[in-house]
Amino acid sequence: MSCESIDLKEYFFGEASLEDRRLAEGHLSACGTCRDELSRLQLTQAALGSLRDEELPRRIAFVSDKVFEPRWYRRLWRSGPQLGFIGAGLLSCAILVHAFVQPAVPAAPMVTAVSDQAMIDRAVAERVEQAVVKAVADIEARQRKKTVEMLQAADRKHDLDRRATLEAISAQTSLIMRMQGRDYAVANNLTSGGQ
Amino acid sequence: MIFREVEDRDLITQARRGNVEAYNLLVSRWEKRVFNYILRLVGHREDALDLTQDVFLKAYQHLSKLDDVSRFAPWLYRIAHNEAYSLLRKNRPEGEMAFEPRSSEPGAKLFPIELSLAVESALNRLNPDQREAVVLKVYQGFKFEEMAEILSCPVSTVKSRLYTALDLLKETLAPVKAGEA
Repeated sequence: MSCESIDLKEYFFGEASLEDRRLAEGHLSACGTCRDELSRLQLTQAALGSLRDEELPRRIAFVSDKVFEPRWYRRLWRSGPQLGFIGAGLLSCAILVHAFVQPAVPAAPMVTAVSDQAMIDRAVAERVEQAVVKAVADIEARQRKKTVEMLQAADRKHDLDRRATLEAISAQTSLIMRMQGRDYAVANNLTSGGQ
Repeated sequence: MIFREVEDRDLITQARRGNVEAYNLLVSRWEKRVFNYILRLVGHREDALDLTQDVFLKAYQHLSKLDDVSRFAPWLYRIAHNEAYSLLRKNRPEGEMAFEPRSSEPGAKLFPIELSLAVESALNRLNPDQREAVVLKVYQGFKFEEMAEILSCPVSTVKSRLYTALDLLKETLAPVKAGEA
């Protein structure tokens, strides 16, 4: 195998495939030139390794850099308790502002509101009264009609009862008279027969 | 490494929901690496620091556009690459090197600081594309495919740049390191 057929630097950096590594190792065992080349590569790498990484003169300005901080609304949104406190604070402020600002409003609207309310109350009272009067009238009318009907019914019943009574009296009178007539006849017969 | 990836993924997910602390932690993990990557591209500490700041700011602003959170590192380095090259294009004409190369004498016995200077000098002799390939591979440990993603070019191009750079560095640094040993 020729020296050109192997990628010595790929092997040196450990990036050769397994097969290529075996081929390179086989070639190196037989080729002094490539062994020397590999040795020079190792020396070069060792020399390069003498150049150490430098420490940063200062840390990357990060935590303090505003650019990296999330927007205020994102921070707020992520913090439940903070959001709660701020909400409560806003509510308190709103109540305070309302308490201080609201009395300063002119009283005229309130008077208007009161007079409006009185008008409404009066109108409602009138309507209620009208409704009550109407309802009472309806009830009284219904009562009168019912009373009249009851009286008429009572009269009719009384009339029927009276007629029935009269008929009964008449019937009994007729019966008595017939019985008296018969007794009288019997008595006459007895009287006439006995003389 | 696996746990680290999982944690990064979680941090990214939380950062996407607006959790700044999660993103802060993510930055603290990556800031040094990103800073050194940019520093080796632009060669100026203050510029590198400013650019690193910009990189993390842009990353935060566009975090929602990251489709695959497991690809965070290449995505972040892509932003860093763009920022660094934007500055290089603004400051220097095309092809001009970032700094003046320092000369070194091959084979001379060097102190560690001298070796570091020699390495720095050798890196500065590379063109920006080659230097970036070395930085991403040797110093940042990315795989070829990840480098291709960061540099927005084919893997073959990445390899070509890296191999050429290694050949140049090898000529300068291998003798220095051998002499030191």
